[in-house]
Amino acid sequence: MAMNMRNWTLSLILTSVVTTLMANLIGNNVSITESIPGVLTLSAIAFVGISLGKLIPLKIPPIVYVVLTGMVVASPISPIAQPIIDATAKISFMAPITIVGTLAGIGLDFKSFISQSWKMVIVAILVFTGTFLIQATFAEVFLNVTNTFE
Amino acid sequence: MESTSHPRQSLWGNLKENARLYIAAFIIVIIAEFIGMKTFHLGSALIVIYPMLFAIVISVLLGKDILRFFTKKEAKKASSLVLVVITPFMAKVGVLAGANLPELVNVGPALAFQELGHVGTILLALPVALLLGIKKEAIGATSSTCRDKDYGLICHIYGSDSPEARGALSIYIIGFLIGTVYIGFLASFVASFNFFHPLALAMACGIGSGVMMAAASGTLATIYPEYADQIVMLAGASDMLSAIVGIYFTLFISLPLTKKLYYFLEPKLSGGFPSFLKRHKVKGGA
Repeated sequence: MAMNMRNWTLSLILTSVVTTLMANLIGNNVSITESIPGVLTLSAIAFVGISLGKLIPLKIPPIVYVVLTGMVVASPISPIAQPIIDATAKISFMAPITIVGTLAGIGLDFKSFISQSWKMVIVAILVFTGTFLIQATFAEVFLNVTNTFE
Repeated sequence: MESTSHPRQSLWGNLKENARLYIAAFIIVIIAEFIGMKTFHLGSALIVIYPMLFAIVISVLLGKDILRFFTKKEAKKASSLVLVVITPFMAKVGVLAGANLPELVNVGPALAFQELGHVGTILLALPVALLLGIKKEAIGATSSTCRDKDYGLICHIYGSDSPEARGALSIYIIGFLIGTVYIGFLASFVASFNFFHPLALAMACGIGSGVMMAAASGTLATIYPEYADQIVMLAGASDMLSAIVGIYFTLFISLPLTKKLYYFLEPKLSGGFPSFLKRHKVKGGA
């Protein structure tokens, strides 16, 4: 966690910013100049969110502040909502995520991964299956009971 | 003054020390993007493989344990950068939520309610774990999806050397590699039954891991293009909710429930299938 905001920003530019531009170009045929405003907007929101997380002494994951910041600046109460929505709409949802997989993969402790028993693999699959299915069931039931779907 | 974890590391120091990592990660992303998104049908399910999954495979292969292209130090740095690089993606989720705020408020109660579905980690997994002969590891493993915060919590309660913590760590490690691939398949598979509304499935994507949420909701967005934005927004909101309340949920609801169920089931199921079939060869109630 010990990373100051200057280093945070440099790291973000050299990883996420450059790769998202490329991913949006290769994967979605959006030119780099067209992607720049959106990528910078998302990065700025991320910057503000992380900074807020450092300033506010609550035990909430910093990621939450990033989502909330994005939500506020794009909500109807924000005077800059439209330009933000327009700029970021050009960035495909999956474009910023490829670098996340890359770095998580590089950081993966493969040795301890293969030392896991097959029994635990089965348990893991059931853990994810269970939470996905039960959450979907609860959501479906609740949405139907309250008639949220037209 | 150039140690990786030093808070006052200079910008130049950061650049010099991590240049190889930054460049290699950049190239991996480009290769993964050139491979591109692949979709294929498996029965009636549409399977979607995003460049992210190719990137994971390539980088794991190049990692410190297999081809050893990356050093231990770089692997550690890469892990710490995951939290940095996921932020623009989360910002995108936030913007989608803000832009669709009235709708989000509309489904807010459902969103809060389905969070309770996190008890689903226990229901299937705990009985099977016991039948497989897993002991107290099962408590840590099945009380949550064992993402960072949950693992931290289990370590805090039981100590990091405890069987409970070992179990949670197993799911944590397996979860990233297998879970990320699997959750996309699962989302496609479940969607192919046309039983759940796409938005209910979207809410189920909030598993407590940004990468898994991306894999699952990205798949759903490809299957239901007409709902793409709402799917991403709801998945993100659900994931955010999991991040805020998840640790309390584990602490006050799912962990006590897991323990209760464990002590209830363990004497009945312990020793795995053979002894279970031989009818309750009870092995002291732990």
